[in-house]
Amino acid sequence: MSVFTLSQAEREALLHKELSELTQHHRANCAEYDRILAASGFTSAATVAELPWLPVRLFKNLELKSIPDDEVFKVLTSSGTTGEVSRIYLDKAAAATQTRQLGATMQTVLGPRRLPMILVDSKGLLKDRRSFSARGAGVLGMATYGRDHAWALDPEGHPDIEALRTFLDKHGSEPFLIFGFTYLVWLHLYEVARDNGLDLSNGILIHSGGWKKLVDQAVSPEEFRRRLKDDTGLTRMHNFYGMVEQIGTVFLEGPSGGSLYCPDFADVIIRNPRTWEEQPVGEPGLIEVVSTLPTSYPGHVLLTEDLGVLDGVDDGDWPGKRFSVLGRLPRAEARGCSDTYREAS
Amino acid sequence: MIFRFGELTEDLTAPSEDRLSVGDPRVVDFLSRFARKLLAPAVARKHPELGSLGYFLRPAELKRAASRMTRDDGTYVFPRGNVFHVPPANVDTIFVYSWALSALAGNHNVVRISSRSAGAAETVLETLNATLPDADPVIARTQRMITYGRDDALTAALSAWSDLRVIWGGDSAVTTIRKHPLRPSGRDLTFPDRTSWAALSVPGWRSADPGAQRAAVLGFSNDAYWFDQAACSSPRTVFLVGGSPEQAGEVREEFLTVLAEVVAQRGWVIDAAMAVEKRVNAYELAATGAVSAVAFPDNTITSLSLSEPGDAPRRWIGAGAFPFAHVATLADLVPAMNRQDQTFSHFGFAPADLRSFAEALGGRGVDRIVPFGSALTFSAIWDGYDLPREFTRLTTLET
Repeated sequence: MSVFTLSQAEREALLHKELSELTQHHRANCAEYDRILAASGFTSAATVAELPWLPVRLFKNLELKSIPDDEVFKVLTSSGTTGEVSRIYLDKAAAATQTRQLGATMQTVLGPRRLPMILVDSKGLLKDRRSFSARGAGVLGMATYGRDHAWALDPEGHPDIEALRTFLDKHGSEPFLIFGFTYLVWLHLYEVARDNGLDLSNGILIHSGGWKKLVDQAVSPEEFRRRLKDDTGLTRMHNFYGMVEQIGTVFLEGPSGGSLYCPDFADVIIRNPRTWEEQPVGEPGLIEVVSTLPTSYPGHVLLTEDLGVLDGVDDGDWPGKRFSVLGRLPRAEARGCSDTYREAS
Repeated sequence: MIFRFGELTEDLTAPSEDRLSVGDPRVVDFLSRFARKLLAPAVARKHPELGSLGYFLRPAELKRAASRMTRDDGTYVFPRGNVFHVPPANVDTIFVYSWALSALAGNHNVVRISSRSAGAAETVLETLNATLPDADPVIARTQRMITYGRDDALTAALSAWSDLRVIWGGDSAVTTIRKHPLRPSGRDLTFPDRTSWAALSVPGWRSADPGAQRAAVLGFSNDAYWFDQAACSSPRTVFLVGGSPEQAGEVREEFLTVLAEVVAQRGWVIDAAMAVEKRVNAYELAATGAVSAVAFPDNTITSLSLSEPGDAPRRWIGAGAFPFAHVATLADLVPAMNRQDQTFSHFGFAPADLRSFAEALGGRGVDRIVPFGSALTFSAIWDGYDLPREFTRLTTLET
């Protein structure tokens, strides 16, 4: 079963209808959202691209939800770089849907059975309250897609070669799952596996977290794939892109690598940051993400602060748009005299 | 700690034998030479704001400022003593104004320059150092500019040393620095967070010819865009005053049309990050109901319709973001003004109307009422303080 099946035309038709309905639903149930759309003069959209987007940072500054307080089942938070936190409100139905759809997305590449799993992280991470919300939650969320977990790092954060060897002795001859943040995989799994001759050829790697730290070390996505394949035998690798503000929706790298693909209930639009029009294939811009999953908060059409580029449409491993994430837009800074003199004390 | 200007010393707070007088000729000479260098075409072209600074420091102006420090009642006016300046990180040149006035008053100064300073501030430091070889050596011994990271001990020592501590940079900077006690006789001169406004007379605009309208908008655009609309004096909300609501709406559209032309002509650019910042802030105001309409004709201009004049935001929204509200008279704005409000720039009003407005405010808000185009022009009277007076002390003598 796959959730990567719809061609761009099919997807547009479906999303236009469902997202327009969601827009009406959120207007009717979230007064703040309705005021924003009224102030912008929005009435209706003829295409998905015409739907009104909210800047993702709005969820850090405002409490936006389309459900009554007593139906709030779960509040998700993300830590931002400046200490601001997004708050995402889910009711029971939305929480169940996001879990189910994330599962369906992962099953596309993992198959229906839970696989033995290596977590490229340290169990100690779960004790650190400060980093828990971001990294810990990500690791815990993914852990449910595997079984017989092994941690690649010891509680001090050093590679645990014994744990890896024990895991591979037991499970290395059948398919197994590896999950971790991209730079941790590179630093703490790739190098260790290479230096100790570990065989990862039956592994399926799911990783996320951006390339910036690796690009600083001059490791491109292509280099990452090539070296892992040559030095550890790992061939099945899927990077993914997602955010807490659209929880349950992940954009997954296809089997042949390089581009991210949209699940059937989601899409991306790359916008020119000057004209705000859609960019054609090959022209970088800001990434807008749309998804039908956010029913309990108005997060179905979001403008991220990530830069990306469309690599193609209906021409890759799976149908629909394929794209790459290029980096982050720097935060605008006021240069005024009320600018706080932070280093002063 | 890095010395950016002035003679190196182990101990910045060591007692000094040097004595400067109010309006000391050695300081006047130094500042005049410095001003001349700033007014050189190459510098002024690269950093127009340094041209304004050079103008502020030319000999005639220095003489005027020094004469304001004297009294005609026989009271002696002396330097206040040691002054520690903590300027803002990001308005490149403001520290020079307060330092120069303090030096002119004959004080020994230590200025803490932000490590984040760049551009114009670097040019200022280069120019100051280039002026030093021709200056009296007392300048380097009494005037110092330093950069240092977080160093509570040094901040505490300089605070205990100073007779006057000048803190720029907003509420939190003031609160942070104030944790360090001054000597018992010392005092603070603080420049906390401020908000500034613009007012456009609807009848005044309608009766102005296109040339005058354009000149006004040009001045306004400098006020607004120069420091990304984030300086304490940068106008944020524009109040449309007088006329009917329909007329006010028309004037607003005309004003925005000319503004868009002027901004394009001047080549002010708003980058993607700033455009996103403005959307976030504008939507937030819409979400709370403070604004009833938002429009983003272009990244350079965001226009917002305030539901009520009292909803005018006091925080920064981004570069080129203009909330508008319509009121019948200037008097209607009086209740909306408070102590945080600094500059009120205006176009199209009769002087008598502005005078009644100032008198009705009665000092409870707004320190400066200036025409469009002058919002950022520094003056010796700032934030309600007469700076030359603050930088000096008085001795009386009865025989």
